[in-house]
This record gives sequence, C-alpha cells and structure tokens, in this order.
Amino acid sequence: MNWKKVVSVLLAGTMMFSLAACGDSGSGGSGGNGGGGTQGGEETGGGSGEKLVVWTLSKDLVDIGNRYKEKTGIEVETVVIEPDQYPTKVQTALLAGETEPDIIVGEPQMLEDFYDSGFFANLDEFGAQDYADQIVDYVWKVGQDSEGVQRAISYQITPAGMYYRRDIAQEVFGTEDPEEIGKLFADYDTVLETAKTLKSKGYRIFASDAEMNYFSGDSAWVVDNTLNVSQGRLDYMDLCVELYQQDLTAYASQWATPWYQAMAGEVPILSAETQWGTDDMNIWDEESFNEATAGMETTQVFAFGLPSWGVLTMRDNVKDTAGKWGVCAGPAYGFGGGTYIGISSNSKRKDAAWEFVKFCTLDEDTANWWIEFSEGDTVSLIPVLEAHKDDENEIYGGQKLYSFWMEQAEGIDYSKVTRYDKLIGDAWGEAISAIKAKEKTKEEAISEFYDKVQATYPDLTINR
Amino acid sequence: MNTIGFKIKKGILYFLLILLGIICLLPFLLMLVNATRSGSEIVTSFTLIPSSHLKENWDTVFEYFNLFLGMLNSVKVAVPATLLSAYFSALTAYALAMYKFKGSRLIFTVILIFMMIPGQLGLIGFYNLCTKLRLVNSYVPLIVPAIAAPGTVFFLRQYMLCVIPPSLIKATRIDGTNELYIFHRIAIPMMSPGIATMSIMGFIGNWNSYLTPMIILNKNEKFTLPVMMATLRASTDINANQGAIYLAVAVSVIPILLVFAFFSKYIISSIAAGAVKG
Repeated sequence: MNWKKVVSVLLAGTMMFSLAACGDSGSGGSGGNGGGGTQGGEETGGGSGEKLVVWTLSKDLVDIGNRYKEKTGIEVETVVIEPDQYPTKVQTALLAGETEPDIIVGEPQMLEDFYDSGFFANLDEFGAQDYADQIVDYVWKVGQDSEGVQRAISYQITPAGMYYRRDIAQEVFGTEDPEEIGKLFADYDTVLETAKTLKSKGYRIFASDAEMNYFSGDSAWVVDNTLNVSQGRLDYMDLCVELYQQDLTAYASQWATPWYQAMAGEVPILSAETQWGTDDMNIWDEESFNEATAGMETTQVFAFGLPSWGVLTMRDNVKDTAGKWGVCAGPAYGFGGGTYIGISSNSKRKDAAWEFVKFCTLDEDTANWWIEFSEGDTVSLIPVLEAHKDDENEIYGGQKLYSFWMEQAEGIDYSKVTRYDKLIGDAWGEAISAIKAKEKTKEEAISEFYDKVQATYPDLTINR
Repeated sequence: MNTIGFKIKKGILYFLLILLGIICLLPFLLMLVNATRSGSEIVTSFTLIPSSHLKENWDTVFEYFNLFLGMLNSVKVAVPATLLSAYFSALTAYALAMYKFKGSRLIFTVILIFMMIPGQLGLIGFYNLCTKLRLVNSYVPLIVPAIAAPGTVFFLRQYMLCVIPPSLIKATRIDGTNELYIFHRIAIPMMSPGIATMSIMGFIGNWNSYLTPMIILNKNEKFTLPVMMATLRASTDINANQGAIYLAVAVSVIPILLVFAFFSKYIISSIAAGAVKG
C-alpha cells in the first residue's frame, strides 16, 4: 500500500516538474525578447524561407549577417560557438538529423572530416563552378572534398609572410627591398646565415625561434597513409635548434610580453636560462620586466613570421616603429587559419542559403565593405584584391600589401594539408623543444615522436 | 614559558592560516582586477592595481550577449535541477537505507555501476532522443535527467545509515505516522546537512555545466551562461576579449557565492542537531 503511494507521488512529482519546466522554457523565449534586443523574431517551426540560421565559430559572420539583413531584409540568426567545441556541436546535431543550421562553417583542419561525414551540401549543384576563377585558387581548393566537389568557400585568404624592419635591413644589408630581403629567408641555411650576420651587428633575427613555423609545411605530413618526415622538416628542426643554442633569437616566447615589445623596438636580450623569467623578473609583467632588465643589454628584433592577419596584430602593437616595417616572402609558401562557409546538407532552405554564401564570399560590395569594416583583413575575391592592389599600408612604409598577399596565395599548394597536421605538428614541436633544451638527443626525440604518432593514429604506416 | 610556547605556536598557526587565506583569495582578486583591464594589458603585464577599462569590457560583453539573460537562463536550469536532484535522491536513498526488500542490494549495485559511466559517452544518442521527443532547444533535457543522480544517492544512503537510527523510524511507525510523513518530517530534517552538501555540489555542477547545454541549445537567447561566455573566445584576436571574459566570469560566480553562503550556514547549524539521546 505504501509503495502505491510512493509510486504515485513519484509520478505526480515528475509530471508536475516537467510541466513546470515546460512552462519555464516557454517563458524563456519571451524573456529573451524582453531582454535587451538579442533576437526579435519568434520561431515558427522553420517553414518560412525568410530566415536563415548560421552556426559559426568567429564573430565575423555576425557582422556580415547583420549586413545581409540590412541589404535583403532576410532575417539571419547567427549562433556563435567557441572554436574548440564547434566540431562536436556540428557533429552531434547533424548526425541526429538536425535541420536547423542552414549555414555551417569550418577551419581548414576541420574541413576534411566534415566533408567525409557529408555535412556540407554540394555547391556545384547551385552552379558554384561558374565562380571558380573569381576566388583565389588555394581557397577554392581548400573548399573542395577529395573528389573535387565544391563544398565550402572562404571570404578571406591567410597566406604567411615575413614581417621585417626596413631600417635594420637598410643598415645591415644595405637594402630594404622586399624582393632582396626575401632572399635572406630563401631557405633554412640562408636564414641561419642571416641570423648570424644580424647578431654580429647587435641585432637578433627573431624574437622567438618559432617564427618559421608557418612556412614549415612545404611537404605533407601524410602521403598515401604513410607518415612522411621530409628533409624539409628535419632542416626546420635543425634551424630551430641552431637558433636556440647559438643565441640567435631574443628568447621571447610567442605571445608573451617581450614578444609584443619586440614589435615596438628595443627589447632586453634574455638568455636560455632566463627566457621564462627569474625570481625577480616576470616575463608576463611589463613593470617588473622593465625594472629587472633595466641595466641589461638591449637589442632590436629584425623579423616576425605571421599569416596575413598578422597585419592586424602588428598594427595594434608596433607603436613608434610604425612605418618602418615591410613584408617579404618566407622560405616556403604557407598559410594559417581562415573560415570556410558552406551549406548544411540537412538544410531545408538550401537556395536561400546559397544566396547567403554568395553574399559572403562572391559579392564585390561585401568584400569591399569587409576590408573597411575589419580594418585590413585580406579577402579572397580576386576582382576586389585587384582593385585594392595599389592600396598602400602606411605601417609598412607604404608597401602594397594586397598585391603581395595575392602573390603569396598563388604559391600555396593545398594538397600538402592533411587532417593529421594539428596533432602531428604539435608532436613535432614537442620533439624540437626537447632537443633544443638538450633534454633529449635528436634520435631519442624523433623516436619518441614516432611512438606518439603511432599511438594516436594506429592506421598510419610509419617507416622509421 | 608554557604561555610563550603557546603564543609562538599560535603565531605560527595564524601566520600559516593567513598565508593560506591569501593563496585562496588571490585568484579571486586577480579575476576582479583583470575584469577592469583591457585585453592587451592582461597579456603584457601582471598587476593587482585595477585599470580603467571596466566600462569597455562591460560593453564588449553586452555586444556579444546579454549577461543577465544568461544568468536568468542558468538559474532556470540550475535551480530546478538542484531541487529535483536533492529531493529524489533523498527519497531513493531513504528507501535503499531504511527498507528491506528483494533486490535492494541489486539496485544499489546498479547505482554504483552507473556512477562510473561518464555521461558524455551517449551524447549523440542523447541528442537523437531529444530530437525525437522534440526537446531540443528546451531546458527539459537539462533539468529532468538530474532526478537520477547516482552519486548523490550513494552519498546520501551512506550518510543516512550513519545519522538515522532504525529504532527511531520504528518508534515513529508505532506512533502511527505514515511512511511519507516519516520521510518528510523526520528523515529529511535529519539528513539536511548531507542534502545541503550535495545541493551545493549539484548547484555548482549545474551552474557551470557546459557541454550538454552547448549541444542541446541552438538559440542565442536560450544559451546558459557558460555557453554564452564561451562565445567571447570566438573573437578574431584571441587577446582582445580577455578583459571581457574575466568580467563575465567575475559576475557569474556571484550566484555560486550566494548559494554557498546560504547552504554552508545550514550545514553547520544542523550538524550538531540530533534526535535520539544517547
């Protein structure tokens, strides 16, 4: 008898609470409408074509979406998900057959998995190939799956370049011409020579020893399902180790205080021992850092290696050295990042979605507006790049950056990018760090690298 | 001499405790200070002196989302989930501890086993289920599953075996009260320190829960606070929003502090209470 009561109370309680919860979620929507203008439109089941849902991982598409609404009156609901969790979110939803997002995006390292899972709709069906010659070639290729079907398009290009100090170049090498300076970075041996020359004149070539990272991918990590450690990779490893052990850099870690300081000029010379700070010097603290290094010998750093979005990072940090910078080619072609936009294969509004993709990536007005709005991002639409190719950037001594990035982008060979890059690249980086700090010998570190790759990707063939 | 030794000991003790206090509070202070600084200040230096970017950070946060809406949403999820979990776990634990019935051991073993399975494993299946039940984008899948909390049941059962003597329950039964009355009027008050402890844990867990809400909710205006805050990391320049992130985190811990203050008083006050005189 008691059990009946217990069970009935349980059931009643569950029903009551679930009702209460439903009521809650109902009022949640109206709370949202009252709550300060996040989203105005009530959802009406997804039948109408006058609305698009975008799931993205950067804020760019929120701004572009707002502009799309201004231009066309079509409501764009943009949901921003942080990049780390974005693949999980998209995977879970699309595998469960969610029709909600019409537009999904991806960064280069996510794309291959997305293509294989069939998340992106076939853009060729909408006539995407008509636009093939309007988009920078490598971006177009990144947007294709292994069978050459167009799945996604990006509105930006992200080729890597060497950012260097013109005044130092003039003093040490007698020229500041990007072509000539590019020769100083032509291959890893030359970079080492350049570094030694600069050191003998009291400068340092790089702030950190990781500056060549974006250029190190000139061979694929995996070829025919076999791990490929090319001579280029080994040379890059040797370069990093040499730069470090021969005191050729300023020992500033990327994204730390001295690294940013180096963009603005004078920076104290750290050593291998003090690069992470000492008891009375904190590299993350400007004040204590300046105090502790007040009497130290200072130097200036010659170059930084960053993708085209580095233009924006430099702009915010160069301070007094504005105008003294230049950009030239590195030892190889490389690129970093980029947001690729495509249509979800489950979308019920594919035609409307295609209009949006076209607006974001293939519309000259949008591209022109984006260059202005983002204050200097590099777009992928060739006619617009052509139109801006004579734009001079004052921070870089009036260099015509858009035409430079276009040249760099032409050299990028996307077939060298694989889905394994992130993890294998990280493992390789760890091996380099271990060798340069003399924690391990080269043989030990490389053998450990093989073990790690083998454990992460058991299917790969590894020839030691 | 004795008193001097005592004083020295006491001094050392105080010193250590103060040190511990500083170590515990420093991250909080840093968080508050960083909430007033700009992204580039945070990455280039470290200080305990507040800067002047509070307003900017506040604006950045609100440019991305409505912080108060996020809090409201989180309250809507965390409060019912915590209450449900506390009540039903106590109910289950009471049954397992106080009644002898066939299969009670089996049920207890099953509960123990379920404690060991991480919930993330069935994520895609869970989402699928929610789609079929038309529960995507609602808070139901975030609240109702909280009823089944194996960890809480386990803890409360062990706790109940310690604090409620079976003789007390028997005595009440002889007095003629019915079982639910016993549970509500006698068992729950006696268990309240245990329930309060688990509720604090549960509330913090629900408040900070990120993965499931991130997967289940697809609408900006329904996002809970942690999901909203994560969008600050989607900025093009990683460093630009650091200050705003600190500010959002600083505001979001306020409810947790409030809940903790409320429940911890409750724990302390009822630990001393007893029902049977030894």
